[in-house]
This record gives sequence, C-alpha cells and structure tokens, in this order.
Amino acid sequence: MSMTGNYTILQGGVWALLLWPCLLTVSHPLDCKEEQGSISRCPTISQEKLLDRVIQHAEVIYRVSEESCTLFEEMFVPFPMRLQRNQAGYTCITKALPIPSSKSEIQQISDTWLLHSVLMLVQSWIEPLVYLQTTLDRYDDAPDLLLNKTKWVSEKLVSLEQGVVVLMKKMLDEGMLTTAYNEHGLVQYDVQPEMLESVLRDYMLLSCFKKDAHKMETFLKLLKCRQTDKYNCALY
Amino acid sequence: MRRAVGSVPLLLMLFFIGHAKETRYSPPGKPKLTSCRSPEKETFTCWWEPGSDGGLPTTYALYYRKENSDAVYECPDYHTAGENSCFFNKNDTSIWVNYNITVVATNALGSNFSDPVDVDVVYIVQPHTPENVTVTVMEDKDGPFLRVSWEPPRKADTRSGWITLIYELRVKLEGEEEWEEHRAGQQKMFNIFSLRSGGMYLVQVRCKPDHGFWSEWSSTTYIKVPDYFPRETSVWILIAVFSAFIFFILTWILNLKSNSVKHCLLPPVPGPKIKGFDKQLLKNGRSEEVFSALVVPGFPPTTSSDCEDLLVEYLEVYTPEEQELILEEGKDLQEGCLKSKGSPSDSDSGRGSCDSHTLLMEKCGEGEGKEEKHQERAQKGKRQQKHQTGWEEGDVSHTREDVLSPDMSEGRVKTWPSVFSPLPQYSSRPLDHQGSLETARQLCLSDSLFPPPSTSSHLSYNAKEGLALGSGQQEFYLGKKQTHPSNPQSQPRWHLQAHSDFNISSMDRKQAASGLQLPGFRSTEYVEVQRVNQEDMVILQPLFSSSCQRDGHLQIGQGEDYSKVKGVDSGNMLLLQREVEVKREEEDGDRYSCDIQDRVTESCYTTSTAASSQVTGKPTSCAGTAMPVQEEMVLAANGYVDAATMLL
Repeated sequence: MSMTGNYTILQGGVWALLLWPCLLTVSHPLDCKEEQGSISRCPTISQEKLLDRVIQHAEVIYRVSEESCTLFEEMFVPFPMRLQRNQAGYTCITKALPIPSSKSEIQQISDTWLLHSVLMLVQSWIEPLVYLQTTLDRYDDAPDLLLNKTKWVSEKLVSLEQGVVVLMKKMLDEGMLTTAYNEHGLVQYDVQPEMLESVLRDYMLLSCFKKDAHKMETFLKLLKCRQTDKYNCALY
Repeated sequence: MRRAVGSVPLLLMLFFIGHAKETRYSPPGKPKLTSCRSPEKETFTCWWEPGSDGGLPTTYALYYRKENSDAVYECPDYHTAGENSCFFNKNDTSIWVNYNITVVATNALGSNFSDPVDVDVVYIVQPHTPENVTVTVMEDKDGPFLRVSWEPPRKADTRSGWITLIYELRVKLEGEEEWEEHRAGQQKMFNIFSLRSGGMYLVQVRCKPDHGFWSEWSSTTYIKVPDYFPRETSVWILIAVFSAFIFFILTWILNLKSNSVKHCLLPPVPGPKIKGFDKQLLKNGRSEEVFSALVVPGFPPTTSSDCEDLLVEYLEVYTPEEQELILEEGKDLQEGCLKSKGSPSDSDSGRGSCDSHTLLMEKCGEGEGKEEKHQERAQKGKRQQKHQTGWEEGDVSHTREDVLSPDMSEGRVKTWPSVFSPLPQYSSRPLDHQGSLETARQLCLSDSLFPPPSTSSHLSYNAKEGLALGSGQQEFYLGKKQTHPSNPQSQPRWHLQAHSDFNISSMDRKQAASGLQLPGFRSTEYVEVQRVNQEDMVILQPLFSSSCQRDGHLQIGQGEDYSKVKGVDSGNMLLLQREVEVKREEEDGDRYSCDIQDRVTESCYTTSTAASSQVTGKPTSCAGTAMPVQEEMVLAANGYVDAATMLL
C-alpha cells in the first residue's frame, strides 16, 4: 500500500540522514586520518608533525611493552630463567623479516626501506599481541595492570600502523600496501614445539615484542634525523 | 763427618724438591663473566673474572655465538679494553641480536668453561658521563637562580636519534649531606631556584638511555651564589614592623582609655546597697543574720489605721507641662523599668526601679543587679524631674540616699512604684496603666521623701497627692500633707502591682499624659486584699473611699480588706489582716474608667510561689506577672511588703 511504501521511504530517509557521516568517511581515505585514527576532521598535517607523532607513539609503545615484560617476568618467570633470551631455540617471530640489525647496516639503507621495515614490524605484531591477550586472560592471577597494558599496546599498535601508512604515503608517495606484509612470518608464533611451558612462551613473546618496539622507535628516529638534517645524520 | 755435614743440605734440598713435586697443578678454575657494557649502542665490551689458575699459566678465550646461528666466533679484541676483557667493535656488534658468550680458561692441564651469558647490546647500554657541565648564576626578578647546562657524552649519537638519553642532575649546598635530585628529561639545560644567598653549591649530572643503565655522575662543578636580599623577607619585615607599630599604638590608646573600656566590657557588678545589710555577714553564710538585720522592728504594723494613716508621704515627681521631659524620663525609666507589655507571666522583673519587685525584698544577690539599675534609673528619673519641675517644696531631695532614713529599707522606697499605681481619674482617656505607671514611677521616686509611715502594714499606698501624669496634669504633690483640695474625696488609687507591667511607651505615656485630667481625682488609693484564693494568691482590689464618679463600674464592695499585713509566719506566708470589706471582683477585664489601673495589681500578690496573676485584660496590669513569691519574705522595715518580690 502506499502508506507502507511511504513509510519505508521515510525510514530509508531517516537512516540515510543518520548515516551520512559514514559517507564522509568513505569519501575520505586514510590520509585524512590523524595518526590516532580519529575521523572527526581532516586537517592536513605536516609531515614533520606526523613523523613526530609517530615517533612519540613508538616511544610510548616501547615503554609500555618494557613495563609489561618486567611485570610478567616478576610475576611468572622463575629467577634462573630470566636472563636467558634464547630459550631452547625460541626465535622471535619477526626473525625472518629482513630487518637491519646494526647501525652501520641501518645507515646504509634508504628511507624507504626504513619505513618499510617499521611497517613490517608493526604489522607482524598486531595479531600476536591479540593472541597474547587471550592467553594472558587464561592465567589465574595475571594482574590487571599487565592485562591493561598489553591491551593498550595492541590498540596503540594499530594506530601506529595507520600513522606509518599515512607517513609512507606522504613521504614516499606510495600507495596503500597495508596488506603486503601481513602474511609474513605470522604463522611462526604458534609453532613452538620446544616450548613446554606457555609461561615461558609468553615471556619470550613479550621480550621479542619489546625488542621490536625498540627497533621501530630507533628506525623512526633515524628517519627523522634524515628528514631534518640529511647530511649530518648519515655521516657518523 | 764432613760427608754427614755435606749431606744435610742435600737432604734439605731433596726434601724441598720432594715438596715441590707434591704441589698440584690443576686445570683452571671456572671463569666468570662479570659484565658487558656498551657505551653508545654501537660497540660493547665484556669483562670476566678468572678463576683459580691452577698453578699454571692460564689463557682465556671468549667465544660467542649469535642468536639462532651456530657459528662460533672468538673475541676479536682482547686488548683494547684492558685485562680480561673482550671488545666488540662496530662491525662485530649487532643490535637486537642475542649474543651467547662464553669464556674459556685453559692451562696445561685442561680448560674450564664459564657459564654462558646472553647479551643483547640494546639492553646493556651505559653511556659515559655528560660533558661540559657548566653552571652560571642568572638574575631574575625574584632573585638569582642557577642555570646548569651540559652536553651528552661524546660518543653517544643522540643527534641522529640512534640513542635517546635522559638526564638527571643533583645539587647540594657545600657542607650538607643530602643531594637534591632533579630529572631533566631529554633537555640539556636546567634551572635551579630558591637559592640561599651567599651559598656555595655543588652540581653533578648523569644520563641514561631509555633502556639502559645510568652513567656515572659527572665531576662536581662548584658555583657560588652572590649575596642578595630576598624580596619576600623584606616584605615580611615591613609587615612585621608595621603591625608592631599598630599594636603599640593600640595598646597605648587602650591604656589611656582603660577606664572606659573596662566600664564597657566589664560593667561593675552592683553590690547590695541595702542599709543595714552586712556583706560580711552574708559572706559568712549566715543568711538569717543578714536578713534579720534588715528587719525593722515594728513591722508589720499591727495597729489599725485609717485611711489617713495609710497615706504615705512621698514626693510625686513628675513634670508639669513637659511632656517631653516626662517622655524622656519615661523613656529613661523605661529602659530599665519596663519590659513587658503585660506579659502575663513575666517572672523577670525587669521593670524600672519603681516597679521592681525587688525593691522591698532586699535579698542579697537577688536582684541581678536590677536593683541597682532600677535605683539608678529611678535616680535618674528623679533627677530629671527635679530639674524639670519646680517642686513646691523645693528642697525635696530625690536622691534616695538622702532621704532614706536609716531604718527605712531601700526596699520600701523602691516598692513604691511597683506597689501602686495611682490612678487619678483619667477617666476621659482609658487611662492606661502607662499613665499610672508613670505616676507610679513618679511616686516611687518620690517615695524617698516619705518618712516611714507608722502604720504601714497595708499594702496599699496612698497616692494622696494624686498623681498627675504627664502633661495633663502638671501638678505635683508633695508630702502627705498635701491633699489635693480638688479632689478631697478622691483617693489615689493604688494598684498593687507586684511588678508593674507598665508599658511605658512614650506613646502610651503621652496618651496617658494627655489623658490626664486633673480633676481632682487625685487621691491616694488603697489597695486592699480582697481575698486569698486557693492558689495562694492575694487578690487585691483598690479600695475606694468614694466611688469614682464617672464610672459606673465601680463596685466598691464591701469586701474584705486585707490590706494590712499582719505578719509573716514561719512558713513564709504573708499574713494579711482583714480590715474593710471590699467586694470588688476584678476578674473581668473591664477597666474602670476612673481607675484604670484599678485592678492592675490585684491578685498580683502571692504569698508563696506565684501563680499567674488574675488580672486580665489590662496589659499593664500585673496580669503578666507571675512571679513567684520569694521564699523569704523580706518585710521592709516599715512594714511595706514588696509585692513584687512576693511575686517573685
């Protein structure tokens, strides 16, 4: 009937009205987003500022991951095992990634590669952290502080990824490559047959993440130096 | 013999050799890796501690393995870092990579491996101390402060962001033990405030990467702060001086005016001023003696007396033609005298001196100073009146003290106003008690002039002269000799008011005054006790020798006249004597036009603890007075009972 038809149209109109902000988001791609992922406005942000923010993010992520690792260590890891990083052949999941591991190496690689390395790292850690969250929840007496920190870190990691992507677009004029590295070496984390204790496995995971967070931070800082003062940075 | 001697050293040698041969050589003890440090995250050094060497020369070798690789490498550099150390240069250093390091001690007999140690260069960074620590004194509006600045250690590459350092500095005064530490973050400069002037400060700085160890403290820098005068102190000194100054001035002023201040803050407590009252006796606690001293022999009068005898001489004090004065005086009296507008149960005789129930019953400590106040006020009033009007007998002295004869108790004097309110016939106006109040007061004041009546066993007072209130009647009557000719028959009517509820508002007074007429109804009135009701209340009524002409309500009856006090019995009961019969009932609230305050004091008297008065209707009547009778009835020397006190 016409009345119901009218009603449907009206409903549709109302829904359209309610959902119109989504249209905006659709029309505004990632480069409009701030690093933190807020959609509200799309002011253009300068590259330096963006890089600064990304670096801040990486710094904070590193600090929190360090705190989480210490918490976990104190809580669950018996003392004799604390310093052994190479537990029974455990390797960090990102081992396979082609990431430079010395300063000289780093100084030789290009900006592009630096950024890519960072992105690789970030993307490879998003899922393992979520996995870590679930395992930590299964612990009997995991302190809330630890759980909150890991949760926070995984959230921040996502925003860091977004920021790096935007940065890449700005700096390198590259397209969206978000999915390029996601499949990298992700599967490794659940294949640890030597690990008998999940506690140690989680501990290793946290340590690896801590290290990788530091890597990200360092790369970004080096990148910043290169951006601001290219010649002085490269020479050392 | 010689052979034996020669063989001793040989034997000794053999012995020693044999001993030497018994010393054990062993493989070396286990070495121990003590620490590995990297100063700038680009190179690192590891140190170990050798174990026992087993007596043989021992060599040490360090082997390392990078994480997840099985290749074993030996330390590239054993010498750069000193004894028992291994130095990894830039090319051999990988960051974020775990090194598995082992030290091996080897000697001729064997070798010994140390426990492996995992090292990640990133986590073992301990930078050198900051360099070029400079401290300068800078000036600010608040005073001087120190500015400390430094540079990162030379080798640390903070510029490229490879390593991020945070700094910390500490300061202390020379001679102190505790350092004051400050975190400076990543900045290379810091300000220190709140310095002691003239102090010598020591400053040190150190740094640490965000993921490593603190460096050593830099060498101490000395700095001396110049002398300065802190501004805050000078302000405080100024304030202190100023306050001290003000304080001294205030003290001086206070000193000058100490008397008035004392008077204001601590009004003098009136002491009892009853003639014949001995404070000492009171202090001794013998109240019987005290009060017995007050008792005047011959009271209560037992002889009957006629109306004339009942007349009490007093000096009427009121002002003729001067309303304002009267008003003034009224006001004056009012403040102390008047309190209630006929509150029915006013136990506080905050009435004027004339009205105070305490006048008669002089009990030590009883009037809470009211007495004095009343006296004072009465005095004041008296004086005023004195000034205003000329007395027909000019030498009337109003001061109570003058007049009072020694045997006259002050109570008596004071009782006057409270005892009666003369009611001249202010018939034209419903004379409010104010008028009579006024008069009463005046009467009271003038009471002092009266010599103690010989027969004063009555409770009624004879306002013989008639009271002229206010402007209406400006007459005064002096002494008992004067009987107002104009009203030969009028008798002043007295209302026994135990406490006068006079409402002397000026308004009222004016009214009263204006309403005064002086026709001649000025005569003293007797209040007579009509009866004693069951509540031990003495019901009084005025005694009319002649009826009030104007009024038809007069019911001068032939009731009982209990206007004479026979005595006080042991139970502190006031024994009244019957005399004339007066029949008037006053329970109604009517007012006698002649005599407005007719009933005012009726039933105001109680012989024992009071009940409410029975007078109703009249605001100023003693209706409001519900003062219980005092336990001790102090009779005035001349036999007048202070109704007010009775009602206390």
